Amino acid sequence: MAKLLEIINLHASIGGKEILKGLNLVINEGETHAIMGPNGAGKSTLSAVLTGNPAYEVTAGEVRLRGENLLAMEPEIRARAGVFLSFQYPVEIPGVSMTNFMRTAINEKRAYEGKEPLSAKEFLLLMREKKKLLELPDKLNNRSVNEGFSGGEKKKNEIFQMAMLEPCLAILDETDSGLDIDALRIVAEGVNRLKTPQNAAIVITHYQRLLDYIVPDFVHVLADGRIVKTGDKSLALELEKHGYERFA
Amino acid sequence: MDTSVLHKGERLEKVFLNEPSLDLHLVQEAGSCVRIYVINFDSSRSRDLEVFNRIAIDQAGEGCETEIYALAYLKGDEKVTTETHVTHAVGGGSSNQLIKFVLDDKSQGRFLGELKIAQDAQKTEAHQTNRNLLLSEDAEMRTQPQLEIYADDVQATHGASTGQLDEAALFYMQQRGIGKQKARQLLVNAFMKEVLDKIPDSLIPDSLTPLLDSIDGVVQ
Ligand SMILES: Nc1ncnc2c1ncn2[C@@H]1O[C@H](COP(=O)(O)OP(=O)(O)OP(=O)(O)O)[C@@H](O)[C@H]1O
Ligand SMILES: [Mg+2]
Repeated sequence: MAKLLEIINLHASIGGKEILKGLNLVINEGETHAIMGPNGAGKSTLSAVLTGNPAYEVTAGEVRLRGENLLAMEPEIRARAGVFLSFQYPVEIPGVSMTNFMRTAINEKRAYEGKEPLSAKEFLLLMREKKKLLELPDKLNNRSVNEGFSGGEKKKNEIFQMAMLEPCLAILDETDSGLDIDALRIVAEGVNRLKTPQNAAIVITHYQRLLDYIVPDFVHVLADGRIVKTGDKSLALELEKHGYERFA
Repeated sequence: MDTSVLHKGERLEKVFLNEPSLDLHLVQEAGSCVRIYVINFDSSRSRDLEVFNRIAIDQAGEGCETEIYALAYLKGDEKVTTETHVTHAVGGGSSNQLIKFVLDDKSQGRFLGELKIAQDAQKTEAHQTNRNLLLSEDAEMRTQPQLEIYADDVQATHGASTGQLDEAALFYMQQRGIGKQKARQLLVNAFMKEVLDKIPDSLIPDSLTPLLDSIDGVVQ
């Protein structure tokens, strides 16, 4: 199996405070990894650092995407190379329509891949197809990105964007929080349908329930800035019972 | 200065696009309606131009409507001053002002908004909003609202704010593969859209269509 992502001894801080303290993780193509861990452990920090959020400073370590130095790439290049983050808190962008936003994103990625931009018609067909996957309403197109969306709609919209962009590495940061039971099923099915033997997913969650739908190959416990335990999906069940006390 | 009178029930709707300077004084008689759009957006002109927009409106009759929308997008050393002087001498009228500046490079913007509601101008509704976006640390904006309200039974609001591009929104767009420059432009366009959207289709000057097309970006 080909190595997709390799994180070696990653240290990162924000506002001068060290959050990631020597994190190691290898993800191969075709794998789904769940990351669980107490509030404030650094899970969202890890997703921010992997996607190049300028608020965070990497102080040591390496991250390689298919062998290339991920940390040296601009955030938009990482995205075009196939790193996608479903944000824990998706951002509202008043005045920028979903259509305009998504079309720009898709065509920037296509240009990066040396492909022609999609025509208006091709683009709209693609939108329609992917919206069906997430059971999203048509009227979404003309609304501003995430503006006035409910918590659950925002999360669905993240996975819709993932379906549009077909990333090779999807990081889902608490995508299940705020979803009702039906929405959870729809979102999870959407994620599962996007799975291929070539791509991989990192699923950050607090709840075992999501992992009934999106079945992970590995479950990691992230505590105090490090991966402190790795197991299979039974580890999630164990954590649900006993909590994180023994990792504190 | 050029003073004109809008007679009873008359209506004036006009776009002023890249006027080197504007000095307008309108006296509104009862039931008349004024809608003015002042757009300063011309990156091709010489970079040291100083523009002065002065718009004075006197609501002299009952039940007048006044709307003023202004947008300036400045680069280089450009300087634009926009002054509005709106006087409600008689009641039952309304005025609404939305003034926006986008300031890049070393440009300077100034908005002076004088709003007077005379003692007899009861039941007046007046709103003044000034929003500014600074794209560079060297750009400068000065806002001077001057509100004089002498009537008590009125609805008057005013708000002014100057800010920068939303970093979280920029990063969100970059995370979707949109280059930083393009992401900035999308946010600037979204900011300008609020004013440009107010202009009725029939009044849009040809020279503004490329800008509007790039802003709207909605696929038909
Ligand atoms: N700007 C900041 N300055 C200082 N500390 C910060 C800043 N932003 C975040 N932190 C801290 O970084 C730590 C890690 O936060 P992070 O969001 O990565 O946690 P998390 O594991 O995702 O938690 P949760 O499960 O609650 O989402 C927290 O203690 C948080 O308070
Ligand atoms: Mg988090």
